[in-house]
Amino acid sequence: MKTNRRETLGLMLAAGGVASAPGMARALELDPVYDSFERARLTQPWTLGMVDAPAEGLNGTAELFHGALPEGLSGVLHRNGPGRFSRNDWRYRHWFDGDGMVHRWEISDQGVTHRARFVQTNKWRMEEEAGRFLMPALGSVPPDMAGIRGPDDMNVANTSVIRIGDELLALWEGGSAWSLDPETLATHGVKNWSPELSSMPFSAHPSRDVDGTIWNFGADPFREQLVLWRIDPDGSLRKADLVRDVPGGMIHDFVITDRSLVFLIGCDRMGEMQLPIIAGYKWQDNIPMRAVVFDKEDWSVRRDFDLPPGFLFHFGGAWEEADGTIRLQAAIADNADFAYDGAFRAMRGEAGSMDPDQSRMRHVTLRPGGRVDIETHEDLFAEFPQIDARFIGQQHRHTWHIGQHRHTPDETSNIVRRDGSDGPGDAYDYGAGRNVEEALFVPREGSTREGDGWLVQTVLNTAEAVTELHVLDAMNLSAGPVASWRLPYSVPLGFHGTWTNA
Amino acid sequence: MKTLFPVIATTALLSIAAPVFAHAADDVAPTTLTITVSNIQAMSGSLQIGVYHSESGWVAGEAVNGAMVTVDDVNESVTIHGLEPGEYGLKMYHDVDGDGAMSTNLMGVPLEPFAFSNNAMGRFGPASWDDAMFTVSAGENSHAINLH
Repeated sequence: MKTNRRETLGLMLAAGGVASAPGMARALELDPVYDSFERARLTQPWTLGMVDAPAEGLNGTAELFHGALPEGLSGVLHRNGPGRFSRNDWRYRHWFDGDGMVHRWEISDQGVTHRARFVQTNKWRMEEEAGRFLMPALGSVPPDMAGIRGPDDMNVANTSVIRIGDELLALWEGGSAWSLDPETLATHGVKNWSPELSSMPFSAHPSRDVDGTIWNFGADPFREQLVLWRIDPDGSLRKADLVRDVPGGMIHDFVITDRSLVFLIGCDRMGEMQLPIIAGYKWQDNIPMRAVVFDKEDWSVRRDFDLPPGFLFHFGGAWEEADGTIRLQAAIADNADFAYDGAFRAMRGEAGSMDPDQSRMRHVTLRPGGRVDIETHEDLFAEFPQIDARFIGQQHRHTWHIGQHRHTPDETSNIVRRDGSDGPGDAYDYGAGRNVEEALFVPREGSTREGDGWLVQTVLNTAEAVTELHVLDAMNLSAGPVASWRLPYSVPLGFHGTWTNA
Repeated sequence: MKTLFPVIATTALLSIAAPVFAHAADDVAPTTLTITVSNIQAMSGSLQIGVYHSESGWVAGEAVNGAMVTVDDVNESVTIHGLEPGEYGLKMYHDVDGDGAMSTNLMGVPLEPFAFSNNAMGRFGPASWDDAMFTVSAGENSHAINLH
């Protein structure tokens, strides 16, 4: 008979005091985070997005329940996100700790199919065998943790994916990318660009330039430096090198213009190395947010700007004017409370932890001479901003992002388009019981007009416990989805994805 | 039979010479430490082993003895002579490419296999002396390390 730990505890207590026998204490100690989440699951539907997915993965066919697939839209949506949060009745403390599960949604006139597999990292394989967590994670230290020899020992490959040639790379931000088969999602192994770049951080937010060049960075907050990566369109490494004196905040994303690589570093700073690693970051009350702008062609040329205090995960787009003025959009919060508090509370299943009273879409202008202007849209919580990627680094009008009003803290159910710095002129609310994920813009084939295309978006329907896939007309969100499918099961909420045309 | 080269500076060798002769003179079985290393992955290069005799030496990287062992099997062993009984710790790496140094990436992260006595593991750095320390007694001693 298979019993979990809690059942065992009950049986032993019933047997009369055996639980107090020496050596049993640790085994019978109930993990308070695990316990808190399991209790919350009974009453809080939003917690469905943070429940463990099956270790063997998932295969399914989604059923069309609304509309019809638009003509000309056909391809594959790959997504990544944390999918395993507990082992042996012990639960991770932070949402970002979960092991990466990569999803493959294939959309064609034959219908929509779904496949999901956990990235077979060293950590995943060792912990599957052990039946418990062995490695520390960003925000967690499991009981009786094993030692670590390098960053890839704790690599969970859980944040995003990028398609480069025949490879699908599963991305994290503290170590190497992992190479997967884009069809089967089988893990080939760590992506090694060159011996001296082995185990170097390759962030989860590479930017694919208009000419196909892939730019990326990796942060080393302990030594206040970044590695910058330049990958040629054919997937070969052009250059990677260190840039120093970059403040050691939690740097998750960057944005490119036609000339520059632009970083915004919030007001958190890494101090002493400690475990969990996230505990080393401390919010600094009296420092500015910093912008650092590197010349794409010469990484020794940089411009620095001071901004009002803040913190961010994600950029929308950016462009640069003739005089060097940079205009960018980003989802910026006044503080880092979600990263350092909310994402911990979410793992305990605490209501309100996915607090929308956080980041806002902001238009930031960095001017020659150091002047900075910021325009903030206070109307909605905003995350996962996206642009029409054909206009990356170029002047553009439209930004799409998920959004939420303040009165429903545990549900983010809106998709929003902003035109320039206007308000949300075009938006759609999926309604109660839905938690939306990142929406990707897919251009209509043959069209060159900005915004002419679709949004492809996954949504967790917590009321019916299924995950849905929706396609919307990117310029007419308020009309609602043009086609909607649902899986016969739900999958954990993910972070980021990438679209590949058929 | 493996090649054994002292890898530590001459001063360290001189410092261990006296006890060797002392033991020989007393006609007592000398104290030896046989280190067995298992699970070696690449059949190339050498194991570079440093022997430490105090916490301060451990932290400062000042070895009192050492060995270099050419690798041609998944398991290798080497015997260190002339140690005084007491507390010791071992640091080891596998110089797979044979360049005489621990290979690192651009950020300084070690890229060649390494290990410490007691199979102690560090947390983003060397294992602590407390975790790696073991006792060498008079006579023959052995210590096994799994290089993973």
